[in-house]
Amino acid sequence: MHKKLFLVGLLAVFFFTLHACSNPGRQRMEDETNTLYVGYQADSFPTSFMPWLSREGIAPTVASMMYNTLFAFDLDTGNFDPLIGKTWYYVDEAGEPLLTDDGEIDYERLDEIYSCPSYDYLPVKVILHDDVTWSDGTPLTVEDVYFSYDTGANNAISNHAGALAWTADLQHSYRDGVLRRQGIFTYDHGAAEQGYVIDEVDRDTVMYLHVDKILGAVSSLFTSMLILPSHIWEPIISEDNPLNSASPQGELLFHYRNPVGSGPWTLDLDASSGQQIVMHRREDFHLKDDDEGPLYKVDTIRFLLFQEINVAIYALLKGHIDVLNSTVSANYSRLFDTHDNIFVSEAPGTFAQTLVFNVNPVESERNPMRDLLSNETVRRAMALAVDQQFLIDMVLNGAGEEMSPGLMPSHMEDFYNPDAWGVIEGDYEARLLEANALLDTVIPDRDTSGYRLLEGDRVGFDILGHPGEQDLISYLEVLFERIGIEIDYAPKGSQPERTYLYRSRFDMTLQTTIFSLQNIDIMYRAHFVTIGETSNYGRLIDADMNAQIARMRSTLDLDEKYELIKSIQPMIAENYYKVPLYSANVLSVARTDRFDNWQVVPGATVFNGESLQNLRRVHEGE
Amino acid sequence: MKAVLKSIGRFFLKRFKGIRRFIKRVWAHRQGKIGLTMVTFLVIVAVFAPWIAPFDPYDVAERTTKGLPPSTTHLLGTTINTGQDIFSMLVYGTRVSLIVGVSSGVLIAIVGSVLGVMAGYIGGAVDSFIMRLVDVLLVIPTLPLVIVLTNVLGRDFWIIILIFVAIGWTGLSRTIRSLVLVLKNSNYVKAAELSGASRFHIMIRHILPGTSHLLIMSTALSSAGIMVAEAGLSFLGLGDPTAISWGKMLADAQSGGALLFGAWWWIIAPGIGIFMAVFAFMRIGIVVEEILNPRMKQSSGVYKIFKNLNSSYVEDVFNSMDEHAQIGEASSAKGGAHG
Amino acid sequence: MKKSYAIKRVLYSVFVFVIVMALNFFIPRIGVADPAERYYPPQGNMTDAQYEIIKQLTREQYGFDVSTPQQFLNYVGGLFQGDLGTSFRSGSPGVMELIVDRLPWTLVLSVSTMLLGLIFGIMIGVIAAMKRGRWQDTTLLNASTIMIALPGFFIALLLSFFLGFELEIFPAYTDPNMVSDFGWNMTAILRVIENAALPVLSMMVGSIVGYAQGTRNAVIAVTNEDFILTAKAKGLRNTTIRYKHTLRNAMLPIVTSIGMSISGLIGGQVVIEQIFNWNGMGTLFLEANNMNDYPLMMGIMLLLSGFTILAILITDLIYVLLDPRVTVGDRR
Repeated sequence: MHKKLFLVGLLAVFFFTLHACSNPGRQRMEDETNTLYVGYQADSFPTSFMPWLSREGIAPTVASMMYNTLFAFDLDTGNFDPLIGKTWYYVDEAGEPLLTDDGEIDYERLDEIYSCPSYDYLPVKVILHDDVTWSDGTPLTVEDVYFSYDTGANNAISNHAGALAWTADLQHSYRDGVLRRQGIFTYDHGAAEQGYVIDEVDRDTVMYLHVDKILGAVSSLFTSMLILPSHIWEPIISEDNPLNSASPQGELLFHYRNPVGSGPWTLDLDASSGQQIVMHRREDFHLKDDDEGPLYKVDTIRFLLFQEINVAIYALLKGHIDVLNSTVSANYSRLFDTHDNIFVSEAPGTFAQTLVFNVNPVESERNPMRDLLSNETVRRAMALAVDQQFLIDMVLNGAGEEMSPGLMPSHMEDFYNPDAWGVIEGDYEARLLEANALLDTVIPDRDTSGYRLLEGDRVGFDILGHPGEQDLISYLEVLFERIGIEIDYAPKGSQPERTYLYRSRFDMTLQTTIFSLQNIDIMYRAHFVTIGETSNYGRLIDADMNAQIARMRSTLDLDEKYELIKSIQPMIAENYYKVPLYSANVLSVARTDRFDNWQVVPGATVFNGESLQNLRRVHEGE
Repeated sequence: MKAVLKSIGRFFLKRFKGIRRFIKRVWAHRQGKIGLTMVTFLVIVAVFAPWIAPFDPYDVAERTTKGLPPSTTHLLGTTINTGQDIFSMLVYGTRVSLIVGVSSGVLIAIVGSVLGVMAGYIGGAVDSFIMRLVDVLLVIPTLPLVIVLTNVLGRDFWIIILIFVAIGWTGLSRTIRSLVLVLKNSNYVKAAELSGASRFHIMIRHILPGTSHLLIMSTALSSAGIMVAEAGLSFLGLGDPTAISWGKMLADAQSGGALLFGAWWWIIAPGIGIFMAVFAFMRIGIVVEEILNPRMKQSSGVYKIFKNLNSSYVEDVFNSMDEHAQIGEASSAKGGAHG
Repeated sequence: MKKSYAIKRVLYSVFVFVIVMALNFFIPRIGVADPAERYYPPQGNMTDAQYEIIKQLTREQYGFDVSTPQQFLNYVGGLFQGDLGTSFRSGSPGVMELIVDRLPWTLVLSVSTMLLGLIFGIMIGVIAAMKRGRWQDTTLLNASTIMIALPGFFIALLLSFFLGFELEIFPAYTDPNMVSDFGWNMTAILRVIENAALPVLSMMVGSIVGYAQGTRNAVIAVTNEDFILTAKAKGLRNTTIRYKHTLRNAMLPIVTSIGMSISGLIGGQVVIEQIFNWNGMGTLFLEANNMNDYPLMMGIMLLLSGFTILAILITDLIYVLLDPRVTVGDRR
């Protein structure tokens, strides 16, 4: 008997001690410092931080915090905001700026000088800030930029697809490790020979670039290419030891893991692990706020890994983290209403969810049903039957906006063309009538359940989607049933491009697309022009539209470019090829008991650069 | 090939009477009664699902408000992420789980017995090939292997069943092989051999029948194991995404926020479904074991055949069943201690 | 006799390992496994020539530029140097390092589950065997029939819901500081224990019942055997018989079963680790699966299979050494 009592007592003590010690959330709640606890939902955290190799999960976020590009693209204005670079402009042959009197880029003169075919490039002058330093204290100069661009373009020593693509518009090319054409000029690298005069005092901050003769050419160079420190990398990389190594060893691995960047944050390697990443603010970062104080208002950021979104939300509700850097389904809104101290950010989305038809399958994948989809009347009827508001209500619980069939968000006022709505706008019942009338001309027969028949077979299509998109497809099933077309869900699998999309082995698929001035040169071509291994999954061919897109890409007159973007939208709409379903809002949450003044930014979660610049620490007793 | 199928068919038809008699014996057990009743109940639920379930969970039009708590209209409430009726999902889920479990169980019995008999009776190279295959399959961790195979081959309902069969036959065939080794030396097989019967004839007519009770047991136990395994796979989001199964319901409950919203019924319901099905098949399996096991009951006719066996065949079947169970659950050690 | 058996047994294990290795290599290659196409989809303004260069470079880097048999030879060659290959994950260290990083955390769970399961299981099993037919025994029987039908991940979900989310007795998810702040001090170790509580508990419940049932059966079987009856006849004290003879002999089958259960334990842990955010090999495997990181998946499978083969080999050899009754050849 005594023994049993003893055992029970022992167990009780055991459990009590366990309960008495810490729980994962205590740290934040007791933290008096200016540290932001950020929950992040992902499979895993990276353990190596080579910025160009950061592709998945949190890696790009971390890379962009530690490293900088030359400029940042401002989606609202279409301008490039300074980061490492202070300013840039096109120049004439002598290197003199092509600027108007009020300092804007003079597109008229640009067009005048360079539209003549004897020029196959545009010269750009870039001026860097003179006070940028790497996190080890070394000053950042144009030589670092030269090194980064030059290495990116030279696949013999960088072997990096991304870098090669980002520098593709730079007229600086290598073949087999030998420089064929130089397009980057600094004081030390041939500026004088090319005829660009750089003063001795400007040797660290001024450089010239030769880029392709399109207005979008600078975009990825300026905003995608993270600049690497040449003093770290130049000595160790060679053709035998390229920058992008699948199995980094020795010094290379050391530098992958101990990043030296020019960004506002540095990595705290000791405190970081596979489950958390700790970053400290650099006090010597060259950009300051208006009062010459630090740009970002928190000293330290701790990213905590959550494999499951529900656990992350739980941690937020319990106060273990300040903010969740992941979008949250609208289903949870109800949960947050009942909690104090929680800020729900509902930002307009920048992505459009579209339904893509396989309009032009390869010969071997043709069948009578798919041939229906190459019929524009059928596609038009289906587009008419899409009730965006219904989908927004059912799938997103109302947290979304309708998207123009021209696939341009309405808040992009400079380019948005309301005419693209065309027939799709208006009373849904009337549209349904019209859709049915259209289909009656092509496939009039129906079976007893009301589905249309094509030579005795029920007209039905599979929509290829991820398991998470099953819900949306179910509601599309409801919509298309109204016009007598049957819809089924087909799982996409793990390699949809290889398995289905590039091979035309599908009827329809769902695709999220994003268009903005920043990517439109690349994206319009990938989505509507190039056939093969691009986003033009349905292999649409429209000669008129292709000509317009080519013109839009190559014009040097900005006004003309904007006009062309506007006129392309109705063309996209009337192909009924990528039919918009909605644009989902970005829902995210933060706590306001330690920090407040969170900012809502379109297309971003509440953990964004704006928020970091504006956060205020809440002190108890206030 | 045709002849083989014919013989197998004849064998099962002929055995049908015996099976019915055997079921009667299982029914005579209290535990067996529980098992058989529950299985019958589940089968009825599965067959008549459309009449029992108040809503059709596959029909989008029958979805309602998301996240309703249990009420008279929605006995177990509705799901938070899609607004489907949880009770109806539970009822329809019976179909998927039973079909996956039972068809894999039956296929495992067929594959396992055919390979086991071949290994035992033909012997030689065939024997060592099959047994080496068994050894190899036994040491590869099951759940990871199933995950890799679904990744490579796809996640269709039938593919998943085939994968389970491809991995699950090992334990049974090893047991049957040792049994066949004993039967091979029995007088009536010897007599048949002397009378000039073909090897194939002997395998089908004289050896396979001796294993039939073992097959019932294996089917019951591996069905149970596979149902847990399927649930585990679906729970990881790696099952057939279009089918509503109990495992997928649990996965939805976890990813849909049941834990956060305190919707415990959403978690408990599929759990009880899995529990009932596994429990029922397990009962039947265990009762068959008891009927066959010399230590529990006086020797039956079947027992006499097994008497000479050195290693305990029941343990082996238990182990094989356990391997299936491991796919879905971590607690593999259970029952492993029988070895 | 025993020695030659041992040598044969070792050689056989090596043979099985080689086959497993080959399977591990070829099964993932049924699907498309060209990292070039997977990781470097062509980008908007890249020319075809540029894309070809990139594809070729990537294949070279991941060793996909040679024929499949050659790849296999390279893979085997790498294995001999302890190199499990290169993960498709960008810029990451080799598969070996990734696994070594996570292995200890997985072992923390599985070893403690196994030890606690064994201790409690054997205790309960012996009690049940001694009180055969009494309530202790029937409770165990009922519990084991119920537990065997409850999937471990379901128990884990229930525990995480009630003890974690609702009552907050234990952490509902693993503290991210557990790994980064780990050191050999009281706080850190307590933190590990606390965070491991729920995962271990949810795996342990089933294994306790399993081991208990096994122990009970083994003890009862041994009790009826000749040498115990002899001991009783010799007039040895009941407790002596219980502990010295009965348990020692009953332990044999239990010990050998451990070997078999190891791979299942680690393999089955995948789901549990996922539920509790545990930083182990199970979650690593799921990550690899999500990203189609074949080398990593192959590496983990090979390691687990290797463990199992080794464990079975060792327990088999121990069995032969310990049990005087076993004549070689009984066990294959």
